[in-house]
Amino acid sequence: MSYLADFAQAFIGVFQEGGKTFVGLLTGIIPTLVTLMTAVNALIMFIGEERVNNWGMSMGKYAILRYTVMPIVAVFFLTNPMAYTFGRFLPEKYKPAFYDAAVSFVHPITGLFPHANPAELFVYLGIAQGVEKLGLPIGGLAIRYFLVGVIVIFIRGIVTEKLTLRLAKQQGIEL
Amino acid sequence: MYRAVIIKKGSNGWGGPLIIKPTEKKNKIASITGGGIHPIAQRIAELTGGVAIDGFRNPVPEDEICCVVIDCGGTARAGVYPKKRIPTINLTPVGPTGPLADYIVEDIYVSGVRENDISLADESENNISNIPIISGESKKETFTPTPEIKHNGSPKGNILERFGRAMGGIVGTLYQAGRKTIDQLLRNIIPFMAFVATIIGIINATGIGKALANLIAPLANNIVGLLIISIIAGFPLLSPLLGPGAVIAQVIGVLLGVEIGKGTIPPQFALPALFAIDPQVGCDFIPVGLSLGEAKPETNSIGVSAILISRLFTGPIAVLIAYLFSFGLY
Repeated sequence: MSYLADFAQAFIGVFQEGGKTFVGLLTGIIPTLVTLMTAVNALIMFIGEERVNNWGMSMGKYAILRYTVMPIVAVFFLTNPMAYTFGRFLPEKYKPAFYDAAVSFVHPITGLFPHANPAELFVYLGIAQGVEKLGLPIGGLAIRYFLVGVIVIFIRGIVTEKLTLRLAKQQGIEL
Repeated sequence: MYRAVIIKKGSNGWGGPLIIKPTEKKNKIASITGGGIHPIAQRIAELTGGVAIDGFRNPVPEDEICCVVIDCGGTARAGVYPKKRIPTINLTPVGPTGPLADYIVEDIYVSGVRENDISLADESENNISNIPIISGESKKETFTPTPEIKHNGSPKGNILERFGRAMGGIVGTLYQAGRKTIDQLLRNIIPFMAFVATIIGIINATGIGKALANLIAPLANNIVGLLIISIIAGFPLLSPLLGPGAVIAQVIGVLLGVEIGKGTIPPQFALPALFAIDPQVGCDFIPVGLSLGEAKPETNSIGVSAILISRLFTGPIAVLIAYLFSFGLY
């Protein structure tokens, strides 16, 4: 009998531990998240999709903008997955590289701007939670995640662009 | 004779498209926007040949209303007219909300509408209309009720009205942003938190945690291990399988977070780890993402290969850059 009771205690203990974590997430993350996301969502509505599209059309010309500012603006304003519609402002040969840059930014942006990809916050939050548990601040981690993200999407954009052009040439397809 | 217009939803809007066509009896476009005739109501009246009425000051009998133009933030008015099955054009981009949400359906309600969302219905699309266009145009000369109404209440309204409308717009937008946030919270964030909390509970309260720590720590507490993780995750055959919903990346992020919290992985590896677990991001989504960008099929097929190969190199490069940037962080 006591064996069964011990088992029940251990069984329920697993979920008590989970429940503690859940409350921790609710009270620790959600309050700030709600107000931050509301403010940014309102800002985006004030600016409006048309204006953002006009910016998008003007940014595709130079590689440095095409794989940095353009995907950042797209992900920030249109969020995942509508950000990829910005690809329509580019010639065919740049579209894969732009997609690659934009999609690679949907996690680095969440440290600072969680509204951009609310369904995938825990890539960053999972790790950041651990750092927070040690009593360390996570502001620096969020900013560096963002900055390194920008560098990475630029490199990724350039590499994918070159690969796209090379593959098209090999297969004799004009893009 | 009246003409039909198609009214589509605006960029953040919901519902529709509605086809609006006044009849002899139902020819009033009621603008219930807090005084004055809203330019949108005016526009609909001009295109259809109907009469725009300031429904706020001059209540219109319901059986004469062809459609209503409202600017409701989603509490009462948004549902009142759809409930009566009167076509409703809401200028505020809200979907089915409020106590009457059940009545707000796509065939009677459209929201977020702006001037360029309104267009004359093409005769071929419009099965209601069988009236030749010529007669509609000739009648238009005699049928000009709108300017006279403009005199009693200009569409822009006085300063107070304009101020009130601007304030209402700002408050409405903020309210709408709040609603969107809570919607995302309930739909995406809290369910994932429930999932994550359960996993963490199981890891922490059972022996699995120790086993996992022994497995993960040697890979994640040094740069070589992180590079190996990134190469595996960026491998072209694996990356599309690891991608969907970033669920795997999120679970691994949580696992690594637990180990960082326990001290088995030093915090300075947090930044490179974020990139090590993510070389596959979006690899499952390439064809969809490219078609959202209106890419042609041949771009699509080349794009998939180009991106998958690119990740093989840029995945580990990202980890190295992140490693360099992690110095001095913790």
